[in-house]
Amino acid sequence: MMTTSALLSPKSKLRQTIGSVLLYLAIIFVTLVTIFPVYWMIVATLQPNKYTLHYPPPLFPQEIIFSQFGELFGRHPVANWLKNSFLIAAMSMLLCTLLTVMGAYALSSLRWRGRSLFGLFLLVTQMLPEVLVLIPLYIMYSRLELLNQLPTLAVVDVAFALPVCIWILKGVFDSVPTEVLDAALVDGCSELSTAWRIVLPLSTPGLVAVAVVAFFAGWNEYLYASIMLGSTELMPASVGLTTLKGLSGVQVEQYMAAGLVFSILPVLFYLSMQRYIISGLTAGAVKG
Amino acid sequence: MRDIADGRADNSTLVKPRMKVAMGIKHRRSNLLPYLLVLPILLYEGVFIISPIVQGIYGSFTSLELASNKPQVWVGLANYARMFDDPEFWQSLKVTLIFTSLVIIIALGAGLLTALLFNRPFRFRPAARALLMIPWAFPEVPVVMIFIWILNPQFGVINVLARLIPGVNENPQWLQVPELAMAWVVLIASWKAFPFYSLVMLAALQSVSQELYDAAKVDGANTFQLFRNITMPGIATTLELLVVLASIFSLKQFSIIFLMTGGGPVGATETIVMRIYNAAFRFYDYSYAAAMGVAGFLISLIIAIVFIILQARRAKEYA
Repeated sequence: MMTTSALLSPKSKLRQTIGSVLLYLAIIFVTLVTIFPVYWMIVATLQPNKYTLHYPPPLFPQEIIFSQFGELFGRHPVANWLKNSFLIAAMSMLLCTLLTVMGAYALSSLRWRGRSLFGLFLLVTQMLPEVLVLIPLYIMYSRLELLNQLPTLAVVDVAFALPVCIWILKGVFDSVPTEVLDAALVDGCSELSTAWRIVLPLSTPGLVAVAVVAFFAGWNEYLYASIMLGSTELMPASVGLTTLKGLSGVQVEQYMAAGLVFSILPVLFYLSMQRYIISGLTAGAVKG
Repeated sequence: MRDIADGRADNSTLVKPRMKVAMGIKHRRSNLLPYLLVLPILLYEGVFIISPIVQGIYGSFTSLELASNKPQVWVGLANYARMFDDPEFWQSLKVTLIFTSLVIIIALGAGLLTALLFNRPFRFRPAARALLMIPWAFPEVPVVMIFIWILNPQFGVINVLARLIPGVNENPQWLQVPELAMAWVVLIASWKAFPFYSLVMLAALQSVSQELYDAAKVDGANTFQLFRNITMPGIATTLELLVVLASIFSLKQFSIIFLMTGGGPVGATETIVMRIYNAAFRFYDYSYAAAMGVAGFLISLIIAIVFIILQARRAKEYA
């Protein structure tokens, strides 16, 4: 690299400089356009609405206030919505993580007849649109009187999150060196204790990723929550947010603040676990 | 125990990895454990996904009214006959095709473009990449909240841009004009999805051998030739896979369309998934919705099979 750049003529050096300036400009442009909607939400949250409800709107916040958060939580049942979301998410996380560990261990570390068929089964269930299952499930739930309960909703969220979670953890289990497994077996560990004492501890980041995906599958889910929970008392935040605009006396900055509060956790956790989540979403075909 | 373990350790440099794997497999074959582990999952997915699908297929041959207490009656292919004669059904397939194709072009295009940009080393790259991933990490409901606000005909910031276009003298009704509504639903879905594709493509780009580029540069290839003859073939299998994944994700897309337009105006954004939902939960036409659900099921099954075939091919290539 050093030698080639030393050989470059001044003219091509100039071209290189122009090239890198253009590259930076392109990157800045792309990043700004991408991030703008999120920025706009933050601006609409933080400034008093006399600036927001003005055309043309100012591009930068003119004044920053924080009273909207207090008003939002004081006047509207947002805290209750978030509590419901948290409960659904936590139940989904526990159940999904347990089932995921079982499925991923069978899919990754054990050799058995029907293993690839099980993989195909997961793939197909992962790819079905949620709406297709909604109607019969809704009918079944209403007949069994399971509607309007947080746990029965969490259980449905798990059904949709499970395949992705199993792929995530399978990929992580796959990366545990076979030598380590064989050594444990030779040392007299049973398969279950190998899983418990060796594979799981070595896969902690993967387990965290699975817990994150399962948790926010429940937290973010809108469709099933909107259909299966009728009572306002049980409404989770994903559904609550969509009703907020219709409530009287909700100011723009409170509305946007609610959206922001709802999004902070999923954004932070998804970003920190993105590599794992991507490998799960592509059924292990791509390691992000 | 000890000597066996020690002996194994001594031999470890002599034994080829493949043989060790084979030993492991032999030791772990033929027992019940995997089936016991997998059974609860099969039952779980069976109850919550497979059995509803089967019930939906059965329901599509019947007439069912939930509100009244009429028994479910077998009607044969009546729902399907109605579906084939229903212009709105065909319209929803057309909308699905348009929506999916546009999202594939725009989201994968933006993904490829950003992946190429971010494949070059530059300062603050990790920070810029994290920023770029934010749309993907954002939950759908707040995404819709932001965009409905941005597109607000009275105060929306997008109008500032639109007014720059000659001839636009008033703020457009972004979600009331069929073509505009479709364009926005596509753009929002693409905005949310492209970081994912970008990151996957970036990984593929980084796996293309640098030596190939160096060799081609020595031979005097220009940037375009490098892209066409080295980059594109290098990421072709990944691109194929992503096209299929993008069509699956677009077919599944519900919340963004539902909350932005509800399928309107006049069905302009009513994809098959939206149509099924509206039939069932707005018009309480369960049996008809079930028949369309079977159509949707077959479509997603076909795409899933294509994905499986591509993935198997890709696995072979990378083995």
